Amino acid sequence: MRLRLPTTSRDERRAATLAVLIVVLALAAVFFIIDVFADLGEYGLGWHIALELMATVALFISLGLMMLELREMQNRMDSLDRGIRAARGDMAGLIGGFFDRWQLTAAEREVALLMLKGFDNDAIAKLRGVAVGTIRAQSASIYAKAGVDGRAQLFSIFMEELLAEPQATEKGGPEGPPPSS
Amino acid sequence: MAGSVSPAAAAGGGASPRVIPVWDPLVRLIHWSLALVILLNGFVTDPEGELHETLGYVALALVLTRLCWGLIGPRPARLISFPPSPARALRHLGALRAGDRSVHLTHNPLGALMVWNIWATVLLIVATGIMMGSPRFFGVSWVEDMHEILFNWLLFSVILHIAGVIFDTWRTGVPLVRAMIDGKKRIPADRPIE
Repeated sequence: MRLRLPTTSRDERRAATLAVLIVVLALAAVFFIIDVFADLGEYGLGWHIALELMATVALFISLGLMMLELREMQNRMDSLDRGIRAARGDMAGLIGGFFDRWQLTAAEREVALLMLKGFDNDAIAKLRGVAVGTIRAQSASIYAKAGVDGRAQLFSIFMEELLAEPQATEKGGPEGPPPSS
Repeated sequence: MAGSVSPAAAAGGGASPRVIPVWDPLVRLIHWSLALVILLNGFVTDPEGELHETLGYVALALVLTRLCWGLIGPRPARLISFPPSPARALRHLGALRAGDRSVHLTHNPLGALMVWNIWATVLLIVATGIMMGSPRFFGVSWVEDMHEILFNWLLFSVILHIAGVIFDTWRTGVPLVRAMIDGKKRIPADRPIE
């Protein structure tokens, strides 16, 4: 299951548009400068050159600002992406940690993971090429080791961990309600 | 929900490649625009014509923009992320011979040398081109010779660049051309990242 945030593709489109604008503006800036030099030879210093120079400076400033804007956008998308990947990695580590604690066998780990991914016993049996009875026995063993009495409770262990109050709230992070028991 | 999940998704997160955004749109746009301009000015446009001259300035603008972007852009695009270091390139060559398969998120050290080489060559070609058009150097033969020699060097570099991309795609299993098109490197799960 891939987490895909709706903002990402819109940001990507905006970033691409900005990139095109930057290149067009850069082309314009180079040709403007060439023109300034050509005119300087023709007219010498004067109003014409002063105006052209001002336009060129404005071009460069907007070019710089657009580059900064694009950088901001890229950084935002990058940190979003990194956050999602970190969350994925954390979740995998968390699940692995529980499996270790319950001392699941290799086969049980795989079955438990497939259960968490939302497969029912029939589908897991088909995927692993074993009888449904085997899966049923293995899931019973998993429930026993985890100390739960069914699939829903197994899920709830991980959900609880995800929704748990973070130990130390990060700077700038949303403040949770005070713990109440 | 169980029936709707494909077996491929069930295989687990471990086996699927990591998709990491590396090249921003500006880097990609400049890369392919520069490639197009080199192709056009090398083989299509009339070297004496105005279009050839204009495209030369376009190449100049592209490289200069890329250099600016290399100063203020996001990390993979930064020039300091891939300094032209022969020492690192040599070490990288040694690692290649030893069968190293690690993946570089930005350019690998050999690729970095090539990038700097191509930018410098393009800038020099533009410089000699502008000199050829200026009255002071008009018809001076060494400038024209330089322009030609540099272009041949650029062609050689581009061929080497493409060979390097093919080789590194084979070595690391990361489809590099695709990464330069959509910006994302798909890194096989078993490859270490440097």
